Amino acid sequence: MSLERKDEHDHKGWMESRELTPVESVYLTVLIWLDRRLRVVDYLEILEDLYYKVNMQMPKSHTEQYNLDNKFWYWYPLYALGSFSTVAYVVAAISGALLGFYYAPAAAAADGSPTVAYDSVMLIMGQLNLGYFLRSVHRWAAQIMVAAVFLHMLRVYFTGAYKEPRELNWLIGIVLISLTLVFGYTGYLLPWSQLSFWAGQIGVEMSLSIPLIGEWVAQLMFGGFTLSQATLQRMYILHVFFLPFITTAIIAVHIGIVWMQGIAEPH
Amino acid sequence: MTGDQSAGTEDGSERRDVVVPLRVYKAVTVFSTLFAVVSVVAGFILVDVATQRASAPASEIDVPVGIAGIACILAGTVVYAFSTRFRTEEMGKSKDDAT
Repeated sequence: MSLERKDEHDHKGWMESRELTPVESVYLTVLIWLDRRLRVVDYLEILEDLYYKVNMQMPKSHTEQYNLDNKFWYWYPLYALGSFSTVAYVVAAISGALLGFYYAPAAAAADGSPTVAYDSVMLIMGQLNLGYFLRSVHRWAAQIMVAAVFLHMLRVYFTGAYKEPRELNWLIGIVLISLTLVFGYTGYLLPWSQLSFWAGQIGVEMSLSIPLIGEWVAQLMFGGFTLSQATLQRMYILHVFFLPFITTAIIAVHIGIVWMQGIAEPH
Repeated sequence: MTGDQSAGTEDGSERRDVVVPLRVYKAVTVFSTLFAVVSVVAGFILVDVATQRASAPASEIDVPVGIAGIACILAGTVVYAFSTRFRTEEMGKSKDDAT
């Protein structure tokens, strides 16, 4: 017996000392053969090591310091909702940019036959390869973003994360949830279907119901008191030009402030 | 080395337990899981292809491909189940064995 450290990878020695059935020795030999060539285990061990080294570097959080984990752990998954909203936003942006290659915001042919806008949506849904999938991804991303943003707001409220010194980010968040809803509304009108059209009608009437400035708001947002090409075009430009720039910029500020201030510990 | 393996290899009624070095245990876990996942997923894909996503009438089912798919799923299952007999030193027995 030599003093040299036994090489763990030298399986010959221990395999002969065990009473293995033929199937077992073949099985182990195959797996060890694979292990020696693909080294997956090595990479996983590196990841594991990295995980622990990074964790050791982290300062103790408020919850660890005051031993609040037993009272607070069930909130932790909800701390992912902000990231979740961001992911949904990015997915919607990518799928929306792709949809933009095929959609045309024209309300022409409103004489009873389908409009150009509705036809282009039908083309995406019926003719285009993966079009149904693409539009579904865009729609679901939008739905999920609205839901995640709302739940994110509830989490921030109920953990008291909006408190000093984070009031500014709370206000920015209120602007962002409003922008998300406007995003959803403008996108809802774009197919120019029956649902879209009457949702637009409701929008016009809601605008008109505002005291004093109602007519001005309806003109500005919907391009008139009845729905027309101007309405669809405004919704389109809001949805694909104004809102993306504004919302992306404000999201960047929102996340930047979180980055600087750190995640709020529970109050 | 006698204590490394539990008895019961003869009658087959008891679970066989093979103690292997840690490194080998890791290789077994990683590669058998990988193989099991890949072959079960591939098996389901084959079954889907054979039955045209379960929409084909019985006469149009591609029998060889379908059987190959089911065989794939079974192979994955068998490999995964087979790998559970390997343990490493100081590792407790699984819940089923503990009494």
